Amino acid sequence: MTTASSAARSSAQASDPFSIPFDERIKEALDNKTLKIAIDRTTNNARDKRAAAVAAWPGFAEARTLGKSIKQHVIDHLDHYLVEFEANALRSGAKVHWASTSDEACAIVIDLCRKAGAKSVTRAKSMLGEEIGLPHALEDAGITRVETDLAEHIVQLAHDRPSHIIWPALHRTREEVAELFRANHHKPQNSDDIESMVASAREELRGRFLAADVGISGANFLIADSGAICTVTNEGNAELTTTIPRVHIVTAGIEKLVPSLSHAMVLLRLLVRSATGADLTQYTTFHCGPKRRGDRDGPEEFHIVLVDNGRTKMRNEGLADMLRCLRCGACMNHCVVFRQIGGHAYGGAYPGPMGSVMTPIFNGLEKSHDLPQACTLNGSCQEVCPVDIPLPTLLRGWREKSWREGLEPQIVRQSLGFWAFGARHPFLYHIGTRLAVRGMRLFAKGGWIRSLPLASGWTRHRDFPKPAPRTFMEEWNQQQRLKAKG
Amino acid sequence: MSARELILSALRQGNTATAAGEPNDAGAIAAAADALIADLSLGRPRLGEGSLPMLFERQITSPKVAASLDKAASLADVPRAVDIYLTTHGLAREIALQPEPALTAMDWSGYHLHEEVKSDTIVAVGKALWGIAETGTLVFHSGPHSPTLFDFFPLHHLVVIEASRILGYLEDYVAASMGQPVPRNVNFVTGASGTTDIEGTLVRGAHGPRFLHVILVEDS
Ligand code: SF4
Repeated sequence: MTTASSAARSSAQASDPFSIPFDERIKEALDNKTLKIAIDRTTNNARDKRAAAVAAWPGFAEARTLGKSIKQHVIDHLDHYLVEFEANALRSGAKVHWASTSDEACAIVIDLCRKAGAKSVTRAKSMLGEEIGLPHALEDAGITRVETDLAEHIVQLAHDRPSHIIWPALHRTREEVAELFRANHHKPQNSDDIESMVASAREELRGRFLAADVGISGANFLIADSGAICTVTNEGNAELTTTIPRVHIVTAGIEKLVPSLSHAMVLLRLLVRSATGADLTQYTTFHCGPKRRGDRDGPEEFHIVLVDNGRTKMRNEGLADMLRCLRCGACMNHCVVFRQIGGHAYGGAYPGPMGSVMTPIFNGLEKSHDLPQACTLNGSCQEVCPVDIPLPTLLRGWREKSWREGLEPQIVRQSLGFWAFGARHPFLYHIGTRLAVRGMRLFAKGGWIRSLPLASGWTRHRDFPKPAPRTFMEEWNQQQRLKAKG
Repeated sequence: MSARELILSALRQGNTATAAGEPNDAGAIAAAADALIADLSLGRPRLGEGSLPMLFERQITSPKVAASLDKAASLADVPRAVDIYLTTHGLAREIALQPEPALTAMDWSGYHLHEEVKSDTIVAVGKALWGIAETGTLVFHSGPHSPTLFDFFPLHHLVVIEASRILGYLEDYVAASMGQPVPRNVNFVTGASGTTDIEGTLVRGAHGPRFLHVILVEDS
């Protein structure tokens, strides 16, 4: 009993995380002692590597502007490129399916799996798959789902939800992963070094790759002028997923289009540097149609499911900028809130700043109106975004909409300045103090408070959770000292 | 209405509402797309000084890509270069050989050859179609002579590339393949398989090869 109810209350595992209030989700994250360590280990590394990659390319800023223009051009002419892509994909022998909603998309995939007589499917990590709830849909349909990305494999074994779009298992420490593998793998590692653990997973999944009837992947790009789709991975699991089974199904958001391969190259450089700091991932593969005559491997059927799920609405109703997103994860690696609470507390498929902009689309503003509030508007997410998405502006837009729609509690409080504001908003205060010096500098320049939309309900109090009192007091005292000095 | 019609008509409605006055015919859109990449140098870092094979070697052996590289004077010397690798790593002279005519024509006496690659293949020897100096990338096109799984199943992937097949930038690959039929798979391989999924620590050999070894053929 206790196990079941505590599982239901865990935002890492809940099937509807929004059933747990946001402040409880945050408290759970802040109370988790190892979580912050786990988040830091991966995000610090990612930030350092991205910074080095950007520094090594003097023209990065120009390329970023170009990348932004390319994506914007596609979003402006999305109908044109969809039709062109479809025609070329059909010509390559692919089958193209269209889905307006996540349910439609899942139904198409399940139907294709059933027609293929699939008992077991392998999946290569795809954020769109998470967005539309494909893992659950497959399970509900009684189809064995094998996650092949190492992190997704860990997430599946732990019955967790992914907590980052590039490193879905970032919330798990190596000790926890070792435990999971020992409990679940046929040949667990002999010693708990990461290399042995990876080797154990490799062996565990090899047989699963060979046994799969259908392989499901996402797409990082859809190339309009050839009808090819592009996957980007480091492990090689995507290619084992897409090459071995008889059927390959691609699920992709309609915004993933690029006019041509040359355009894709520019975006690939920006995507990979922003995500991992590499010049290119180990495996960048362009898939075009099914097995050809004479091919010794490859799928006999190649299906592409083009998914809207709110994207046309985003484009037409003020969130077109968000459709440029390459899903690189840089905005969350650099977000002071994400780095405190990790991905699960956000509740949706996408965490961090980009998640806070998109989750209201996918899960409704009523459930997720707190997310756009959990932001210091320091602007670093937009700064590091490889396609210059104005995330803070879009978050402010949600705040205003949420206020207009009466979703915020009607408690009016006056903002008395940063520290008084902080004392009343211990959670944000907590975040602010982690970056105390920076926060003060921003405040001194008037950037912080002045950029808050005072008229739009931001200062009308949200009940942010309190961190542990001891921590709060320690930090409060430290702030007092800083303040006295300043 | 079908989902297709719903999506396209919603987008078209949005077009008239947002892109007022902008040309929206196919020709104008194509021209705008071309204009974006008219100056390719805007979208890529400049290559350093040196010949393309030199730059390729530098990049592919850099810590970022971390492949090993050996040189052979000609294609005929490839079996010997393979032997050196196998001996160094204490591996048997048993290889899966990509069914590429240039490879199968070589003298492999003393080797135990397999025509197919298997999920437990230890060593596979293949030949890349192109190399890209900018990123240290090997390019493979799937086809009868180049099954995709050769790049993903083996533990050690040994790849032959001729110096004359090394291109500068990613876009040079696009130019080189322009007008040719698009293969089922174009595989860009940039280093051995790796993962940073456990605590951000890089480990090689996640699902694909743990070792990538390049044999650069200088004269062909
Ligand atoms: S919003 Fe920008 S930084 Fe964030 S994931 Fe998307 S492309 Fe990357």
